[in-house]
This record gives sequence, structure tokens and C-alpha cells, in this order.
Amino acid sequence: MTERVLAVLAGVVATAGLVAVGALPVPVLVLSLPFLVVLARRPVLRRLAVRNAVRRPRETLLVLLGSLLGTAIITSSFIVGDTLNASLRRSAFTQLGPVDEIAPVLGAEAGAEVEAALRSLPPDLVDGVVTVLTAPGSVATPGANPRAEPSATVLEVDFERGRAFGGDPDATGLEGPMPGTDEIAVGRDIADTLDVDEGDTVDLYLYGAKLSLRVVRVLPRLGLAGLHLEFGSESPNVFVQPGTLTRLAAASTIPASPPTAVVAVSNAGGVLEGAERTDEVAAAMREALDGRPVSVNEVKRDRLELAQESGEQFTQLFTSIGFFSVIAGILLLVNIFVMLAEERKTELGMLRAVGLRRTGLVGSFSVEGWMYALASAALGTVVGLGLGRIIAGVAASIFGQGDFALELHYAATLSSVQTAFTIGFVISLVTILGTSFRIARLNVIRAIRDLPEQEGGRRQRVLGAIAAAVVVVVGGVFFAGSVANDDPYGVLIGPALAAAGVVRLTHNLLPRRAVVTAAAGAALVWALVAFEVLPDAFEDGDITIFVVQGLILTFTAVAMVSTNQDGIGAVVRRLGGGASSMALRLGLAYPLARRFRTAMILGMYSLVVFTLTFITVFSHLFSGQVDGFTRRISGGFDLRVASNTSNPVPADAVRALPGVTDVAEQAVVTAEWLATTTDGGFQPWPVASFDETFLRAGPVALLERHPRYPDDEAAYRAVLADPSLVIVSEFFLQEGGGPPDRPVEVGDRIEMRDPLSGRTRTLTVAAQAEAGFGNLLAYVSRPVLEETFGASVTTNLLFVGVAEGTDPVALSDSVNGRFLANGADAESFREIVNENLSQQQQFFRLMQGYLALGLVVGIAGLGVVMVRAVRERRRQVGVLRSLGFQAAAVRRAFMVESSFVALEGIVIGVVLANVVAWRLVGSDTFGESLTFTVPWGQLLLLVLATFAASLLATVAPAQQASKIRPAVALRITD
Amino acid sequence: MRPSPTTAASAPAAGDGILVARGVRKTYRTGAESVDALKDIDLAVAAGQFVAVMGPSGSGKTTLLNCLSGLDDIDAGEIVVDDEPIHRMSDARRTRHRASSMGFIFQAFNLIPVFTAIENVELPLLLAGADAKAARTAAHETLARVGLGHRLHHRPTELSGGEQQRVTIARALAGRPRIVWADEPTGNLDSETATQVMDLLRELHAEGLTLLLVTHDDDIGSSAQRRIVVRDGVIVADEALR
Repeated sequence: MTERVLAVLAGVVATAGLVAVGALPVPVLVLSLPFLVVLARRPVLRRLAVRNAVRRPRETLLVLLGSLLGTAIITSSFIVGDTLNASLRRSAFTQLGPVDEIAPVLGAEAGAEVEAALRSLPPDLVDGVVTVLTAPGSVATPGANPRAEPSATVLEVDFERGRAFGGDPDATGLEGPMPGTDEIAVGRDIADTLDVDEGDTVDLYLYGAKLSLRVVRVLPRLGLAGLHLEFGSESPNVFVQPGTLTRLAAASTIPASPPTAVVAVSNAGGVLEGAERTDEVAAAMREALDGRPVSVNEVKRDRLELAQESGEQFTQLFTSIGFFSVIAGILLLVNIFVMLAEERKTELGMLRAVGLRRTGLVGSFSVEGWMYALASAALGTVVGLGLGRIIAGVAASIFGQGDFALELHYAATLSSVQTAFTIGFVISLVTILGTSFRIARLNVIRAIRDLPEQEGGRRQRVLGAIAAAVVVVVGGVFFAGSVANDDPYGVLIGPALAAAGVVRLTHNLLPRRAVVTAAAGAALVWALVAFEVLPDAFEDGDITIFVVQGLILTFTAVAMVSTNQDGIGAVVRRLGGGASSMALRLGLAYPLARRFRTAMILGMYSLVVFTLTFITVFSHLFSGQVDGFTRRISGGFDLRVASNTSNPVPADAVRALPGVTDVAEQAVVTAEWLATTTDGGFQPWPVASFDETFLRAGPVALLERHPRYPDDEAAYRAVLADPSLVIVSEFFLQEGGGPPDRPVEVGDRIEMRDPLSGRTRTLTVAAQAEAGFGNLLAYVSRPVLEETFGASVTTNLLFVGVAEGTDPVALSDSVNGRFLANGADAESFREIVNENLSQQQQFFRLMQGYLALGLVVGIAGLGVVMVRAVRERRRQVGVLRSLGFQAAAVRRAFMVESSFVALEGIVIGVVLANVVAWRLVGSDTFGESLTFTVPWGQLLLLVLATFAASLLATVAPAQQASKIRPAVALRITD
Repeated sequence: MRPSPTTAASAPAAGDGILVARGVRKTYRTGAESVDALKDIDLAVAAGQFVAVMGPSGSGKTTLLNCLSGLDDIDAGEIVVDDEPIHRMSDARRTRHRASSMGFIFQAFNLIPVFTAIENVELPLLLAGADAKAARTAAHETLARVGLGHRLHHRPTELSGGEQQRVTIARALAGRPRIVWADEPTGNLDSETATQVMDLLRELHAEGLTLLLVTHDDDIGSSAQRRIVVRDGVIVADEALR
């Protein structure tokens, strides 16, 4: 009665509470109904399930610990995605506010004309049109040791009109009166960088002029005040009196781009709701512009879509790599339930004998499992929220560096939490149900007498053979179809399926060991070489393909090892002192005899170690490539000097500096591109011009070029000579992380457009350049750039070569100080590579930390298995002790057992990961610049740490086993 | 009829036999409760004797066997087996002593399920430090001796109950122990198999084996040389039958 009351009460209270707060996902509720019915209506099953669950609290805790990690990993993946999504969405408020679309044009006059045209937009559609004039500048504090922001954005807007822009003045961030003559309003980011406040004076440099201005206001990073159209969370904005930019540009004697007028449009509705009308408003804008060559940029919707996509990509990345740990968790759960069933076999047989039906047995086991699944999903979700917070915190520190720093703000949506909870719950429940059905097939008499189950009868054998034949055919058809359609999943999964079917089909006809070894070996080799044999199928593959490959490799390797355990055990025994080493002999006997359990633990360990090793190897490969990467992205140059288009660093002045040998001039502008990959719309991407000097020192390395060019230089020369050619970078038109899904290919024809004038030019891709570390530019000749982009083209990027003996870092510091007024941002290529690699390494470490969670699953699993093994073998330990087995030998035997399995898993994981990495690097998947080497030191550390953790997990149970007193063990069981 | 105590009345001297127990006491404590399982037991067993220990359930038979063989600690008294005071030994030394001079036969067979018959039998030999090859030969011979020469490489689950018990007997004998302890060796067997097993034990005893056997079965008890009856932790009868 007590259990019934407790169970029903707990169920009702928990369910009511969760439903009340909207936290309990409906699928979980629906899936739980049958179990709740069993709990309420079947007292025997309830009693069995509840009492078994609470019988050994410590072991129940271990089961929960082992199974909650899967949900925790899934939850944290969603949280990371939520965090990135929310952080980017936040920028819709902080850096756009009411701005939904913009129409940028060159110069204030053109801006006024466009604004006038757009004022005709209907008020029910648009609740504001305003022009913001912008130009890049640099701002510094006066004095001998100035604090400076070389890449500030100088803006002009009528504050009154600005505040009236959109429906909500508070969302514009424009506070107080407009800055007057000799006044400036600075954004919060600039105020922080320069450490200035109201009343302080700052120097503003642009168009060759220097203005000393008094700070009259510090504006928040919000709405128009925070207007920032580039990537990155910071808005380095300053506001000056309207008219200043036009006046300075007109008076300028240096070659510089005129200011850009950004005509901003606010859709009717709030900051987010307004974006839903983008299509309607953009169409109306184009109509109002009446054929003017002005592009309409849907900035708000693009930002929100980027947030959504980036969040989803991060969730997918973390879910994918965490999936290995989730699978490890599933294997653990299966193992635990099989062990539970074996331990309770006699009592289960008795229950069947006294009238409990097979469905009742499934019911009892699955209700117990349902309780574990529900509890572990709930606990896992809570742990996952914490884990997500930690990952978000570490990721925030990584992404918060560099020129395009991204501020991450922890966020977790209820729908993510519910989805993760549901996935974790369903995975556990399905695993438990499947295992329960398998367990319930036991033969009553054999169970009571604790005898091993026998193979099924003729009918079952025939059914098994038919099913196996179907699997072989399905695998073959899947493979053939996938080869024809370039589907990577079928190419990998098909042969593995067919191999599994062959094993089952022939297991009564041919020697099992030979068949399993051959079939698993063939599937393993295929999974390793498929990338090279059928490269087309894997061209568009994403990270999930790597997950599938990893799973196939690991499972086939585990199958091979498991089926040959006798041979491996014999070798280990021989190496360990032969038959006389009793601890070794006993320690090996159990894993060799309990093949299924051993395979489960092996699978767990292999998966986890595989992923950890893989990420370690890749981290090492990239970290050791500073020289190679520097050479490939710099050509023969040492320094990269970027500057403001409104006040660029004079190339001749740099040439005149001591130690400078070469200066290659480039003009960088943001173009809009139409390609087969841009889904019919134009997409922004920077393009640069280059000259002969760039070729003299050796330009950026090319990844691929048209066959008609014998070498890289020939391809660059062709672009200089032919105005219809362009060289694009590897990540050209990339959205989100990593290379684009459908890259622009060499030979493709693409359209380049000036967003300010609308002029377009059709170009053919001559080659694809290395894109490492911010080297993302497309390259055309200077005349092509000038013809298309007109006045906005000015030399604002210099590649500088230095003489031997000149320190590039010291020179870059000197350039930054000397050309502060020009917004000089000089950095040596080696520094750029080092900084980026360091950031990349931090990300790898974050991944390693995340993957190490799988190790926790593995170690917890081993601990659970060993604890249960001690309980299960108490009587045998008692017998051994009575026969003369020393307590220390018992302890050693348990340690040998766990070490053997852990070491096998570690070896499988480490070897497979290195082979996969070696093949990937060899096939140039990551570019030709990567050379495969084994990180021996790091791997040794990983192996030792994993092994030590495994031993640590076994120490307590082994110690417990060694303390078993023979008389007590024999008395209890006999 | 209640049997009268005989030799139990006088404390035996160390030179009296292979096993000498004096004033052995054993108390089990569970929380606040304590049960005196053995109360001042005195006993001596001569080498080559076949002693049957009998008594009702819960009388202390198995506890007596466990304590005398050194499987369990005692709370008072002393036990000398083969001239070695096992009650004073450390656990490690007592374990070595068991491996070198004792054999055990249990009601539930208690074979190691992951070892084959021959591996189970050679186990005590290897534990006693025998050479692996010699141990394997001895195990083979002993299994052949108990009629299982054809089942050497079968695991316990592949053997019948009688065969398992014969493997247990072979395991107990393989190391040529000075004394074999048997706790209800036929308790899990049908009568025919039980008879076969007892015939085998009697045969081995006839060859000089010292055997101390706990049983409920009057027939088995009567076939021993000496019968000890235990009740409430006290030896209430100790009689020579042959």
C-alpha cells in the first residue's frame, strides 16, 4: 500500500507541477501514460519495480549518473545553440533597433534623393525613414600616450528625426540634443576603449583632418546609436554634427572614399515583429526607388536568419560530437539492464513460474526503467543547463577576442529544454524497453536453474535467416542507390548493414569467428577508404557523416576484437606470466566469458577515446602549422596594414620607413555578389584589387586554379590582364561556420555589384585562394575595381615586406603609432596566424572538454559494471578465498579485468582516430598545407589519464571484493 | 533419544590429531542482537578419520565447519590444523594454509562459471604454487579419477549437477590436501547421484583422506567413522560408529 500511495502521489504531484509550469513536454506525458497506468493498476508489477529501484540506493544512483549524461549532453548542445542565437538576435536590438532595411548610397546628396523617394512608402507598412551618413575614422585621446580606436565609425544623423524613426524612441538609443560644433557623442564601446566620459576631449581623424572635440554624451549601444552593419558585437560609433563629414570630404586633398549615406527604413511593428514584413517592404522600396541603381539590404532579417542558422549550426556541432557520448550512454544503459536481468534471473524465472506473464515481466522491468529514464532525463536536463552555462562561458571568452569579437550571453529557451528532455527520455526509454523485451524471452526452467539461454528453435532460425537476407539486400540496394546519387550516408551505412546481415545469415553455416572478422574487417576498411574511393559522394557531407563514419569504424573494430577475444586473452596471459599468474587469469576469464558485456564496455570506451583522440590529433596538426599557414596566407610579405578609407595610410610613407622592402597596394571594398550559390539574391563579400608588387613577393597561395594556368603566379597574372576574371577565397560567400555547403567553383560565372551605385560586372572564377585566418578577399585587378566601384575605391590595405633583420612586430607597432590618424591597423602575418591558431586551439580545448564528458560516461559505466560484478560474484569470490586465493589477488583480478577492457577500448579508439586523421589529411580534405604527425606526448597523456581514471573507477569495487570474507559469502548464498 | 556427549567433555591436546579445537566460541552480532553460534567447542579429529557433523537447521554445523577450516574468524578459543594454529594466523597466511593443506566441497558446487572443469580443478594447485604443467596433469588425472576424463573442457553450465559435484570433489582433492571439508555435498543431488558421490568420497577416505562432512542425511551420517551432533552451538554427541 505504501508504495502505491507513494508512487501515485509522487506521480500526480510531479506531473501536475510540471504540466502547471508548462515544463513537461507532451510527448513525455503521452509516453509515460502506460507506465503510470501500470503503477496505479498492477500492484505486483509496481511492487517489483519500485522495490527493485530502491533496493540498492547506491547502485541506483550510479545507474542514474550513467544515464543522465546523455540528456545532459543533448541539453547543453541546445543551450549552446540558444546562447549563440540569442546573442546574435540581441544585436538586432543593440546594433539595428528600428532599422529593418537599408539603401546605402555614396554621398549625402544621393542619400537625400533616395530618402525622398522612400518617404512615399505607405505609413501602414513603414513607420520611419531616416538617413545616417557614415565614414570610417579613428579616434584617440589627446596627449603623449593616447588611447585609440583606429577603426571607429563616424556617423551623422539628425537626433530629433532619429528618435522619431520607428515606433519607439527608446529603441533608437539616441538621447539628448544633437552634438554641435566641436562636440561629439561617443558610443559606450568607444567610451570604454578610450576611457572617456562627458566633458573629456578626443581627437577625431578623417579625410586628412584632425578635429579636437568635446564629449557631450555617451550613448548606449542600442538602435541607431549602436548602428553597426559589420560582424561583431561591438559598435565603435561616434556621432558628429551633421554636415561635418561632407565638409571634410570636400576639403580633403588625399585619395579617400566619400561618406556613405545609409538610408534606413523601419517597418511598422516592433524591433522583431517588423522584420516579418521584410518581403513586403523591400518590394515597396524597390518600386519606390523606381529603377535607381540602389540596392536594398534586408539587414534585420539577415541578422535574425544568421542568428537562427548559427544557433542551429552550433547545436548541430555540439550534438554531433556529443552524439558519441550519447551512444556510449546507451551502451551503458543496455549493459546495466542486462546485468540487472542476469542478477535477477532466478527470481524472474520464479515469477514466470508462479504465473507472471511475459508481458508482465516486460512491464515490471520497463516500469523500473521508466522511473530511471524519467529521473535521469530530469536530472540530465538540470546538469545540461549547468553544462551549457559552462560551455557558453568558455565560448564567450574565446569568441570575445579579435577584431570581430562576439559577446555571448547565456540563454536557454523552454522549447530547447523540453526538446532535450524529451530526446533524453525517449532514448533511455527505447533502450530500456528493447532490453526488457530481450530479457523477457528467458526460458523459465533455465532461468530458475541459472543456466544459459539456448538458441531459438528452427522457426526462429528460419525467421532470423530471412531477416538477415533482407538486411543484406537492403544494405546492398542502399549502397548502390547512394553511389548513384552521391549520398554519403548510404555509401557508408550500406556495406556495414550488408556485412551485419552476412554475419547473421551464415552464423550456422560457417565458422563464426572467421565470418565476423572478415565481414567487420571489410566494413571497417571500407569506412576508412570510402572518402577516397568515392570522393564525389562526400563532397557536400557535413559533420554528421563524420559521426556515422566514427560509429561504423568503432563498432566494426569492437566486433572484430570481441570475436577474437580468446586469442587476445591468450597473448595477454602469456605475456603476463602464463597460467601461474592467477589474478591475471581470473581477471581475464570474466571479460572473455561475458562477451556481450565486454563488447558493450569496449564500445563505450572506444567511442569516447576515438573522439577525444581525433580532436587531439587535429588540434595538434593545426597548432604545428604556424610557418606553413603564415607562408601560404602572406605570400612573401611580413606585415598587413589596414586603414580607414576616409584617411588611408599613404603607401609611399610606409615605403619610406626603414626596413621596408616591398609594399603592395590593395583597395578593399564590400561588393555584392550573385552566384549559383546565393539563391537568386545578391550577397555581400569583400573584394580587393592587387598589383604587380603583390606578385613580385609571392601572393596568397591558391588551393585550386583553372588548368590553363601552370602555376599560382600565372593565375594571378591572368586576373591582372583579363578584366573578366576573379580569384575567390575558399570561404567565398560563406554563411555561418566552415566552408559553404555549395562552394563557388573554378570556372563559375558570377556577378559583382557595387551596392552604392548598382553597377554590375560579370566575372569568371579563375582560381580559389587559401582562406585561412581572415584572408577571405576576392581578387580582381585595380581597373576592374575602379570601373565598378568608382570613387569609393582607395588604397586601404598594404602588404609590406621587410628586410632581413627587421622585426615585423616592432615595425607593426611603429606603423600603428605613426599612422594613428589614419586608423592604421598593422599586424605581422605571423601574429595573425598565431592569434587565430590560439583562438582555434581554445575552441579545440573546449571541444575536448565537452568530449571528455563521454569519458565520464565510460568511467561511470565501468564503475557501475564493476560494482555489479562484485555483487554478482560474491559467492565465487568466497569460494576462491576458501581455496586459497589471497585478498590482494582478488583485488588484482578485478583491476586486471577493468584494465583489460579499458586498455582494449583505448587502443581501438586511439588507433582508429589516428588512421582516420591520417587518411583525411592525406586526401587533402583540409588543404594541402596540413601534414600528418602523431602528437605522441598529448596522446600519451590522454591514454594515461583515461587509463588512470578507469583504474580509479575500479579501486573501490575491487577493494570491496577483496574484503569479502569467505564464510560470509558462502553463508549468504548457500 | 538424545545422544550423550562423549569425547566433547574433555579438552583435547594438540598431539591428538590433524585437527584440534579448544574452547571455540563464535558469536554473530546483528545490531543490538547477538547469537552464540558456537559455545566452547572442543574437538579433535585424527588423521584419516571420516567425521560426520549432524544436527538440525540452525544448530551451528556450517559455522563449525567454517570456523574449524579457517574460513571464518572465531571469537575465542584455539584451532590447530595440521600442527598450525590457524586462529592466530593472519588472513594471508591462513589463506596460504588453506591452499596447501585443505580441500572444500560445497552443497551448491560453487565452481567458477567462467573456468572449464579442468581449469577449476587446477585452480588450488596453481594457488599453492604448483608448476602450470604439473597442475594441468594433476587436474587431468584427478578428473579422470572421479570419472570426468571426458568432460575436461566443459564449463560448469554444460555439466549436470552430479558432474559438477564431482568436479568440486576433484578440485578438493587435486592438491592432495591433508583434510577435506564437505558441507552438505549431496544436498543438491538426486538420490542416485548422491549415492555415487558418497561412494566416491568413501573410496577416497579409504585411501587415507581425512574428511569432515556436514550433513542432514542420517544414512550418510551413519556411514561415517564418527558422528558429531551439534545443537544450539554445542556438541551434544560425539560417537565413534566404526
